[in-house]
Amino acid sequence: MFIIEELKGVSLIKIDRHRCIYCGACVGVCPKLALILKETFVEYDEKKCINCGMCAKACPMKAIDFKK
Amino acid sequence: MKADYDVIVVGAGPGGSFAAKKAAKAGASVLLIDRRKELGAPVRCGEGLGSHWLDELGLKVSPKAISAEISGSVLYSPNMKREVKIQNPETRGYVIDRKVFDKDLAIDAGRAGAEVIAKTEVYEVIKKDGKVCGVKANCAGDKFEANCKVLIAADGGESTIARMAGIDSTATLYDTDFGIEYEMVNVDCQDLIEIYFSKSAAPRGYVWVFPKGKDVANVGVGIGGLEQGNAVEYLDRFIKNNKRFEGAQTVAIKGGLIPVGEPLKELVADGLMIVGTAAHQVDPIHGGGMALAMEAGGIAGEVAAKCAAEEKTDKKSLYEYESIWRKKVGPKLMRRLRLRKVLEKLDDNDFNAIFENLTDKDLDELIKGDYKPVVQKVLFKRPQLLKVLSALL
Ligand SMILES: Cc1cc2nc3c(=O)[nH]c(=O)nc-3n(C[C@H](O)[C@H](O)[C@H](O)COP(=O)(O)OP(=O)(O)OC[C@H]3O[C@@H](n4cnc5c(N)ncnc54)[C@H](O)[C@@H]3O)c2cc1C
Ligand code: SF4
Ligand code: SF4
Repeated sequence: MFIIEELKGVSLIKIDRHRCIYCGACVGVCPKLALILKETFVEYDEKKCINCGMCAKACPMKAIDFKK
Repeated sequence: MKADYDVIVVGAGPGGSFAAKKAAKAGASVLLIDRRKELGAPVRCGEGLGSHWLDELGLKVSPKAISAEISGSVLYSPNMKREVKIQNPETRGYVIDRKVFDKDLAIDAGRAGAEVIAKTEVYEVIKKDGKVCGVKANCAGDKFEANCKVLIAADGGESTIARMAGIDSTATLYDTDFGIEYEMVNVDCQDLIEIYFSKSAAPRGYVWVFPKGKDVANVGVGIGGLEQGNAVEYLDRFIKNNKRFEGAQTVAIKGGLIPVGEPLKELVADGLMIVGTAAHQVDPIHGGGMALAMEAGGIAGEVAAKCAAEEKTDKKSLYEYESIWRKKVGPKLMRRLRLRKVLEKLDDNDFNAIFENLTDKDLDELIKGDYKPVVQKVLFKRPQLLKVLSALL
């Protein structure tokens, strides 16, 4: 957890807007509300993100890249 | 728009629109808010709805909202050697068009007296002395605040409203399936919902073909959140490896998350109620959530209107919704959850053996919730499952 906290503000995830079908699954699993669906795209707040990678695992469209 | 409402509902899906309609009919002033510019679209659903729900919910579905009538379901074993048809009142139903269906429900809410605003996103929940009392929202670029006595969070799988209010409704990978589906043309269909069980094709979930007409179907895959890969990879593989889809064309892509664990531990807080997928009220076996959302929304709407009229909207008063809901739905849902936990532990060989040894009637009983005779029969043939299956006895 310490390492993850240290990475706050550094982003390891990348959302491909062209692949996203704005289904909101990533929003539902994000423990920090760092992702918010804006009807047709996902807004990402890297300051809130703890790089847990949950959103990338969840995304049914494989639209989120998570650099481990 | 006014500054004060008895009830504000966030989310005009089936749960929210039903809640808004019931609350308005019970005399409350209601504001129904949804982020979408067009209610119902984009769809995040297989669109299957059992017809028994129409009576249970007092719901009328307009012919325009029905894509296909379904006479039952057919389940396939992992090795595809056996198929089981279940055609009874429980499995009869419709594949609907949610773009039409959801909008119709919002129209009903509007007709019942609720104010409805589309293209409006709630971005903050207002609390006073720990009690939820309103929302901040952005309506097509214009920000506004509105107060309410009761806020109903019916915002679906994202479930951000409850979390903004301080209730952790985050979906966990363990208790959630993630689904993707293509609406395809040139797929031969009967009037049956098709379900394929297979660990390799859909680990911890299943593959479905829901007909929307003679040659159009929603073809989808849901997988458990902790499984390898993402749902779309499984769906693409299933379609590629299946000759039936050779000439099929995709006319829509739909997807989303499906909670398949327990509903939230608490469905109410001071000034707040949570309904539908936002509260994880989804059937843990087939992942259907429309009807459960409407059922919960209906109860919540009526209780919210009553509590608002009596000016008693603390957690204890609003708990009436949770208590009615748990009594009505809880036992059945928990039984199905137990069945799910067992099914999760079976591998493809177990499934094949079960399919081979059981008659259509046995499986029918299993689906209905009468586990005992079936379990006994399976154990006779496959005693090594004793430990796993004993949870059902
Ligand atoms: C792939 C897949 C297949 C499925 N198949 C079936 C099926 O065949 N049958 C079935 O019964 N169920 C199925 N489900 C489940 C079903 O779709 C849901 O359970 C159902 O839609 C839940 O209804 P709801 O009213 O709770 O939420 P939703 O229908 O999700 O509605 C939530 C609404 O809230 C709005 N909203 C969210 N956040 C905000 C905000 N901040 N401000 C304003 N508005 C907001 C959204 O725009 C949306 O309109 C499926 C789900 C998926 C993902
Ligand atoms: S990596 Fe984790 S915290 Fe960051 S956006 Fe994804 S789910 Fe949220
Ligand atoms: S889960 Fe994937 S497809 Fe769905 S909204 Fe998030 S990024 Fe887009």
